[in-house]
Amino acid sequence: MFWSKQWSMPRLELWEKIMQQKKAKYSFLMMLCIVLLGIIGPWIAPHDPTKTYYEAFMQGPSKDFWLGTDAIGRDILSRMLYGTRVTLTVAVLASVMTFVAGTLIGVTCAYLGGIVDNLIMRIMDIMLALPGIVLALAIVALLGPSQENAMIAIGISSIPAFSILIRGAALSIKQSGYVEASRSIGSSNWWIITRQFIPNISNVLVVYTTMFIGSAILGTSALGFIGLGAQPPTPEWGTMLNEGKNYLREAWWLATFPGLAITAVVFTVYLLGDALRDIFDPKS
Amino acid sequence: MKTPLLQVKNLNKKFLVGKGWFQQPSYVHAVHGVNVTVNAGETLGIVGESGCGKSTLGRCILRLIEPTDGEIVFEGQNIRSLQKADMQKLRRDMQMVFQNPFDTLNPKLTIQHILSEPLIAHGIPKRERAAMIEETLEIVGLNKSHLSRYAHEFSGGQRQRIGIARALMLRPKLIIADEPVSALDVSIQSQILNLLQDLQEQFSLTYLFISHDLSVVEHIADRVAVMYLGEVIELAKKEELFQRPMHPYTQTLLSAIPITDPDEKKERIILTGDLPSPSNPPQGCKFHPRCWACMDVCKTETPPFTEADGRLVACHLYTK
Repeated sequence: MFWSKQWSMPRLELWEKIMQQKKAKYSFLMMLCIVLLGIIGPWIAPHDPTKTYYEAFMQGPSKDFWLGTDAIGRDILSRMLYGTRVTLTVAVLASVMTFVAGTLIGVTCAYLGGIVDNLIMRIMDIMLALPGIVLALAIVALLGPSQENAMIAIGISSIPAFSILIRGAALSIKQSGYVEASRSIGSSNWWIITRQFIPNISNVLVVYTTMFIGSAILGTSALGFIGLGAQPPTPEWGTMLNEGKNYLREAWWLATFPGLAITAVVFTVYLLGDALRDIFDPKS
Repeated sequence: MKTPLLQVKNLNKKFLVGKGWFQQPSYVHAVHGVNVTVNAGETLGIVGESGCGKSTLGRCILRLIEPTDGEIVFEGQNIRSLQKADMQKLRRDMQMVFQNPFDTLNPKLTIQHILSEPLIAHGIPKRERAAMIEETLEIVGLNKSHLSRYAHEFSGGQRQRIGIARALMLRPKLIIADEPVSALDVSIQSQILNLLQDLQEQFSLTYLFISHDLSVVEHIADRVAVMYLGEVIELAKKEELFQRPMHPYTQTLLSAIPITDPDEKKERIILTGDLPSPSNPPQGCKFHPRCWACMDVCKTETPPFTEADGRLVACHLYTK
């Protein structure tokens, strides 16, 4: 069949396709650089991110401090490099949480249908009625502000949207013959969900998860900005943005560079998600 | 006389089609009071036009669709009263071969994975699985070099062989074959039919063979049940049914089989009218609006499915 080739696309072929498309190629390479920076950041940072240089408060970009120093004399470049890891870790772990819970909820609802589906989906609808960030705020308020709690809050608040998307994708699999065949064989529900449903929605899963990492980065920064994420003196982009906002007139570099970093990373992730969708679904 | 392997008693399936808050619920009566028995080792063919409920009947017997009421007795046990876990165990003995081999094999799994599923589901230890898979694969005419491939790398006939291997894996007693050859080329159809017959001999299988193709059923079945709008209207041995059909609908069906001899003249019975909606079937005999032998009694009374001339038929022509 014309589509089955693409359905069971081996990993090597996916790599080739990414390299063939301009958008996919550059966004993928950029994402790779960002992740690499997150990993090796602490080793290549020129200064200690928490050390105060008393001779250099709020200095603009210079030879010693490439991106300047902040209000209490800390090197912004070093703080941003350390912050890459913090932001990415929180965002990725939150997305993993969303991915696992959202996939299970979505597929289970689609497969079981009936009362279970109705009940869970109505709960998801109620959660969805609140904007994600408000829900995240409520959760952080409940658990107390910290990096881990911010992660949990962002993870939980994106579960409803994610599981509804996955449920939609899984519903089309439910109609397929192999799910019915599996039932006639007498396989357990768990087997059917993990072996019949999930491999066949993996394309959708990859695309949606990438997109959700983008919004998780935004969410992490937003919580950091209002002081409910990573706590000082931990360097985090959102927190840095907040610290810098009061000095925008006198020292533009305080808030500009973390802001640019957030924009660039979110842009890259969305671009990658978009490119992956083009690869997996050439029809739309 | 032996007890039959499978007895279906007065089986009904209604599908809810319309239900709103201020609306009367309406139903499609897909399977209506079906009584059939399948003896061990035989092939019961079920024929009927599209939408007559033959596939629903097959799925109800396996409880893939829960019947509305009636009894399904398999080896003396009413499987409709079984708990879910017991039913899962029983599925080892009753398997299904599906119509569309392009849709029933998971495109993301290798043949090895697909074929080990029944073994895993029924707790066969890992070390025994490989040998069983290879053995079964060879029985259906494939070999172990195919194991690491994906379903899309096979032709339709080969895929149907894989589907048959999957059903055969646990050596079931009953196989429900739901139009197993209708999606295949004619040249491949006979290969698959012969394979099914060989397997029946080798493993003393019992088939419930669902098809809309009369020549296929004539080839493989021992007895044939004819369905119309969810009801079995005639059930007889194959030879009797094909040589002397009793129900007017069966006569019509048989007259539609193309004949290969150009000189032979055959009278074709052409039905008028459309197939009535199964959600609003006609009163009395469901076939009466299209029947050329329609009598007054047909319009009011449902003919009972009873014995006439030693055969089972539901028609007023034979009730007097």
